[in-house]
Amino acid sequence: MNAGEDKRPFEVTEATLLAYVDGQLSPGERAAVETWLLEHPDKAADVGAWQRQNAALSTLYAPILAEPVPPRLDPRRIAAGVSGARWDWTRVAAAAVVLLAIGSGAGWFMRTATWQEEPASERLIDGAVSAHALYVKETRHAVEVAADDKAHLVTWLSNRVGHPIGAPDLTAQGFQLVGGRLLPPPAETGMGPAAQLMYQDGASTRVTVFITTAADGDGKPYVKYQDHGLEAYYWANDQITCTVVGDLPEAQMQTVAKGVYQQLTWRPDPGGRS
Amino acid sequence: MSDFLDEIEAAVPALRRYARALTRDIDRADDLVQDCLERAIRKRALWRPTAPLQAWLFRMLLNLYRNDLRSRRRRGDHVPYDEMPIEPSTPPAQPGRLALAEVDRAMVQLADDQREALLLVVVEGQSYADAANILEIPIGTLMSRLGRARAALRVLTGTADEPRLRSVK
Repeated sequence: MNAGEDKRPFEVTEATLLAYVDGQLSPGERAAVETWLLEHPDKAADVGAWQRQNAALSTLYAPILAEPVPPRLDPRRIAAGVSGARWDWTRVAAAAVVLLAIGSGAGWFMRTATWQEEPASERLIDGAVSAHALYVKETRHAVEVAADDKAHLVTWLSNRVGHPIGAPDLTAQGFQLVGGRLLPPPAETGMGPAAQLMYQDGASTRVTVFITTAADGDGKPYVKYQDHGLEAYYWANDQITCTVVGDLPEAQMQTVAKGVYQQLTWRPDPGGRS
Repeated sequence: MSDFLDEIEAAVPALRRYARALTRDIDRADDLVQDCLERAIRKRALWRPTAPLQAWLFRMLLNLYRNDLRSRRRRGDHVPYDEMPIEPSTPPAQPGRLALAEVDRAMVQLADDQREALLLVVVEGQSYADAANILEIPIGTLMSRLGRARAALRVLTGTADEPRLRSVK
């Protein structure tokens, strides 16, 4: 399989041959490969087999291109429908605080089932809600690193998540930091690990904050989500995503989420958007 | 806006073809394309004109497809290539020609990542750079997927052991 043992200026490797077959080479390179193939019949046979694969695949799927496009796939028709919608994402900067009330949990799930909206944010909210439900019940093992070691907690989570994470101070909202833990990224987001910070008030009611580095610009700027008495507030900017989960009364939940938002979602580089 | 819509419109047949080749289901494929177009139009501001619009659309379509696939499958269904049960089929009667039905069947058995890559490059004619961008993988990874896809296709179509053909005389 070692192509190119002879030291010529143009070395032909398996990758070169693949690129040749896939039409990725310049005319000069193509000519050089064709000359080379004359002297390497075994490789020429591989190339021939690949070319037959290409021909077969092109033939197999070509008829689809000739089909009439159904009217529902007419971009103008879709654009007319979209501009009549209640919101226009194109006007929303990545970190803008636009509250989008999804309504009931059932509504949320119906949206995901029907138009597969925003996979990254969905998965992150799911992850945040699951982690919340799992750990708020714990008494002795609610967190990995407790708040009395806050400096270590913050350094550790920042390093592992890959972005500076300051634990927001929610004293004004009536909540004290309990501590935090590191969590695996929500499945198949392709993201790094997540940090979970836990807070509780005087009545030991807990809220958690779930933080990851940013999704690839594909997240909703701001989403409120409710399910089975749990509320989650999610937002993303170009650096982090953050989900606050709790089962507080709505007004209180909003106050807490706002406190987290103000402290966590800084934008050191506000340029580039207007 | 209308230039943008024109460009999208021009890409629709290719998007349909890619979606159909992935899903093998006309309605499901068109549903995915419709979702993709809606998203593209809603998120127009996120599109950077420096990147080809078609690649952006393909990337969105692919994400929707994967999402759809995930919700249809139970977890743990992804089988690494090395463990993939490949059943070699019998060689075609005429060596050197691939029966379309054979290739069609073989495509079903390809690993997802290989099928996604092979279709983008071979059928949709995407450059390696654009295909790598659409799949969100490095070019080296793309090429090794293509190599494995081609090798697997040869096994699946029973042409792996076909007699070496003579090169050009």
